[in-house]
Amino acid sequence: MLFLQLLVNGIVTGCALGVVSFSFSLVYSTTKVFHVVHAGIYTLAGYLALTLAETGLPDGVALVAVPIVCAGAGALVQILLYAPLDRRRATHLAVLIASLGLLAIVQNAIAAVYSPNILQFPSAWRGQTLRFAGLTLTLVQVTTVLLSLLLYAATSLITSRTTLGKRIRAVASNPSLAEITRLEPARTYVAVMALASANVAIPGILVGLDLGLQPYTGTTVLLTGTVAVIAGGVGSLAGAFLLSIVITVMQNLSLLIMPGQWSVGITFLIFVLFMLWRPRGLFVAA
Amino acid sequence: MDFFLSYLALAAIYVTLSLSTNLLVGIVGIFSVSQAAIFGVGAYITGYCLVNEVMGFLPATLLAAFVCLLVNILITLPSLRVSGDYFVVTSFGIQLLATAAFTNWNAATGGASGMPGVPPASVFGIELVEVWQNLSLCLALMLVCCLGFYLAMHSPWGRLLRAIREDELAVAASGKSVLRAKIGVAALAGVFGGVGGSLYAVFLSFIDPSSFDLNASVFLLTMVVVGGARTLAGSVVGPFVLLALPQILTMIEIPTTVAAAARQGIYGALLIAFMIFRPQGLAGEKL
Repeated sequence: MLFLQLLVNGIVTGCALGVVSFSFSLVYSTTKVFHVVHAGIYTLAGYLALTLAETGLPDGVALVAVPIVCAGAGALVQILLYAPLDRRRATHLAVLIASLGLLAIVQNAIAAVYSPNILQFPSAWRGQTLRFAGLTLTLVQVTTVLLSLLLYAATSLITSRTTLGKRIRAVASNPSLAEITRLEPARTYVAVMALASANVAIPGILVGLDLGLQPYTGTTVLLTGTVAVIAGGVGSLAGAFLLSIVITVMQNLSLLIMPGQWSVGITFLIFVLFMLWRPRGLFVAA
Repeated sequence: MDFFLSYLALAAIYVTLSLSTNLLVGIVGIFSVSQAAIFGVGAYITGYCLVNEVMGFLPATLLAAFVCLLVNILITLPSLRVSGDYFVVTSFGIQLLATAAFTNWNAATGGASGMPGVPPASVFGIELVEVWQNLSLCLALMLVCCLGFYLAMHSPWGRLLRAIREDELAVAASGKSVLRAKIGVAALAGVFGGVGGSLYAVFLSFIDPSSFDLNASVFLLTMVVVGGARTLAGSVVGPFVLLALPQILTMIEIPTTVAAAARQGIYGALLIAFMIFRPQGLAGEKL
């Protein structure tokens, strides 16, 4: 029974992580920037939702309003940070270092304004649980699974069926050809960053509702997400989403055999070994 | 006065760590956010040896340097097989793994509450209790590391390392072993990290996992970026400038919880500002 409960918890966490990883994958495969600020936006979303919840608004409002704000924030990061660096022909390493710098600013600004300690939402529905077949799930967890699957389906549709999606894929595969054919890579990058940031806001809010908020936890979440992206094959949204679930299920099941504080460390140990064995991931996108 | 002397000693310690980071990130272009892990391994080995009276300071430092050499080669190895961003994730992962080990391996590290009461170093029978004595030790070892860095960079081997950063394929095509050069540089960086960690443990006499976490790694990266990549001057300037910053912040009256966050935030802002406006840092070459 414990096994089944851990399995279900793993799937729930995995769905939330899946949104983080496929949205990161979208940015990474299109702009080629290792966008660590994604973790900052994830964290920011939770705290913005907390502020809204404390004014007495229902959490549904936050779930709509915060992603819009985060989309704007993501677009701004592209316009004010990545685009100027690109114009100055900054190396890949320089962009990554600048991104790390912005992440430090975001996380520490949150720690200074709110508090470095764990904060809980005041919302009443957090505590409500559903029981079936001996399993206990909170309402927040059920919402997490449903919304994550919905976001995954929506983003897959956008990238495969719409004009914007085709443009994103064209720019991702050949930026200079896209520039010549007037697909405007610069504007596409802004759109991708906005889309990805809106996506990552949802797990940012829901995981915060479920477990509480802390300013610095986003880094580990994003890194676990990037492990899923790489193991799943860069550019494959399905690979990123599936591998996220696999990783968190394994982390949860490992609780049966060892104490929880080691699970993150073990995940990365397995990843390092995996990278030595298969450096290009399991499902490499064409 | 002691206050100023301990600032100098701490800066001297960080110069060795900054050299270690510079070798990997600046010279050969292996991105690393796990140098604080090496720093921590060095500090814990010396701390453990001195607290449990296994051996004296000098042998403990040698042991720390040797273990860090091996560990650094081991954690840099994935960079031979995977390139670029894949190694970035690996490097982050190694740092998180190290933090987990420092925090949870209670028997060896004292866990989250840290390892108190590391005795002062004694060198050739003299116990270094005064701040100026510690400062002399730190400066002496710092100069040894700087000399090592200078000699390495002005040797044919140093030119080979720079060539690897510019074009790895061309180096391999001209018959040089990239693998051997990278292992060598990882070894040298490991030794610097181990020496720095060792000095840190005896100088502060208290170590805990928070000194060797991801933030500490980013701090080391900031030192290289602010001082300037690839040059000896850059690695010396960076720590002296950045460690002066918290001292200045203490003059402004803000609550301590906010102060820690403000300091980290300012380091972040410096990273961005330097990357946009001055990628060569104060005294280095363009990154």
